Amino acid sequence: MSSIADEVRSGPKPASGFLASPAALSLIGGLAAAAAWCGVAAITALWPDKPESDWDYTGAFAALCAAVGLALVLAAIAGVRFTRMRRVRQAVPWLLALALFVAAWEVITAKLGWLPLPFFPPPQAILEVIIDDWTRLGEGTIASLRLLATGYLIGAAIGFVAGVAIGWSRHASYWIHPVLRFVGPLPATAWLPLAFFVFPTSFSASIFLIALATGFPVTVLTWSGVAGVNSAYYDIARTLGASQRFLVLKVAVPAAMPHVFVGLFMGLGTSFAVLVVAEMLGVKAGLGWYLQWAQGWAAYANMYAALLTMALLCSGLITLLFRLRDRLLSWQKGLVRW
Amino acid sequence: MVVAGASAEVTRSTRDNPVRGATLTLREVSHHFDLDGQPLPVLDRISLRISRGEFVALLGPSGCGKSTLLRLVAGLNAPSAGSLLVDGEVIDGPDPSRVVVFQDPTLYPWRTVWNNVALGPEARGLLGTHRERIEDALRLVGLTGFANAYPHQLSGGMSQRAALARALVNDPKLLILDEPLGQLDSLTRITMQSELVSLWQRVGFTALLVTHDVEESLFLSSRVVVLSERPAQIRAEVVNTRPYPRHRGDPHLAELRHEVFARLGLDATW
Repeated sequence: MSSIADEVRSGPKPASGFLASPAALSLIGGLAAAAAWCGVAAITALWPDKPESDWDYTGAFAALCAAVGLALVLAAIAGVRFTRMRRVRQAVPWLLALALFVAAWEVITAKLGWLPLPFFPPPQAILEVIIDDWTRLGEGTIASLRLLATGYLIGAAIGFVAGVAIGWSRHASYWIHPVLRFVGPLPATAWLPLAFFVFPTSFSASIFLIALATGFPVTVLTWSGVAGVNSAYYDIARTLGASQRFLVLKVAVPAAMPHVFVGLFMGLGTSFAVLVVAEMLGVKAGLGWYLQWAQGWAAYANMYAALLTMALLCSGLITLLFRLRDRLLSWQKGLVRW
Repeated sequence: MVVAGASAEVTRSTRDNPVRGATLTLREVSHHFDLDGQPLPVLDRISLRISRGEFVALLGPSGCGKSTLLRLVAGLNAPSAGSLLVDGEVIDGPDPSRVVVFQDPTLYPWRTVWNNVALGPEARGLLGTHRERIEDALRLVGLTGFANAYPHQLSGGMSQRAALARALVNDPKLLILDEPLGQLDSLTRITMQSELVSLWQRVGFTALLVTHDVEESLFLSSRVVVLSERPAQIRAEVVNTRPYPRHRGDPHLAELRHEVFARLGLDATW
């Protein structure tokens, strides 16, 4: 009796087990990453900038790195108690690599001045732009997003309907297919000069171009998805009393959905390219225009800040589309590799 | 016991369940496919009468046109010549009272088992009133616990059961079975054969089974229609009056099997 109670009290694990436990590993990893970022903060703050340079935000940047370090310390300690926070451990190699990269960048630019200015500003210069010019960057982001979303949604909707129509109806195929074959492969940007004088505003012209760039891949892939549906699916539905409408909406479309999403991904990629070109050449707003403007003033720090924002925007949208696919096509999980 | 020829009088099997099935009449049905502009005859003047609640098996060499005949009965294709009638009315298209269970279960992978079974009622706009029947059909095939599973999570036998439930939920008068157990392993197959018989006895539909398995045809059906090579003609009909449920070891079935093999021209190896 008493021996069992003793065993329970002393616990099944020997003392050395803690160091190998997931909690300990995540704690050690998290603290290492935190130390690296505190190191970046120390280099930035304590190593004086190269003389005759005037970086106003060196202190702010050091504080930011220190804040990252502090957040990592907190996450590492929280990881001992909360299993969810242990995901930080997976990011540790990346956090270390990034710290190393930022430290090298800081040293080469601000401290030693090895890279020519104004082309290669130090990280604090980009932080300066983000702090001082965030209103314009924010406005640019919203303008880009508005243009992209409008054009993309119109293009995706038209492409989807056209794809289903071609895949389903012989008449639609007869009329739409040749147009698609002839016009589709033309890069949407080739229409740019025409679009800007045909459409009343550069905004509507850009919507047209983005919709065109999105619509082509969505149409082709929706079509191939609908055309590739197992004909036995239709036989089954027909013997069960399905109408034509049911066959299209409840059989062809869901069966084609995996293809449709490939089209949506490709369309999103090309729409980014068209968006930036359209903003650089016609629309007087948005991140593409900001890039162009920054380059005109040789404000390279602004350019990097805009590129960073743009990267966040694009990858965010792609992630959003992935999430949507994961929700809608969760039935595929057991069938294909994700 | 052996009745040769197409227009033979049908001997009704002994059954004591309510009979709700349809009668099926085939009159001189011929069919051909177009192969590079050349007609390829598949069915040659098939005449057959199937009574209400009967279980008939079509047996023939592979590629002889059995499945084509089933597609004509289902109304998925129209015959090149002759006519097909259900309860005296000409078949002019698919109808939920004649449901096909194919060799491949062809469940929709994006729908759960429940939603696959609900396909027929949903297609006809009856989903609201048929929920109870969908549950019943799932219970009938023993898949109640898998209502929310996706097809890829099911075994072959379970998928085919789900396909059977999808057919039965429509309360078919004629169940058309196109080698429904052909892809299953032999153990599952034997279980499913018995399940099919008990379903048929309980529900009372007319069943038309295509198979190339002689034992299966004798175990399940009250009449085996033996078809020739393409273009298919009816070569013989073997009537099996043994009461259900049957026993695989029944010496009478062995005799009939010999008979069927002889009709198929395969008795030399017997």
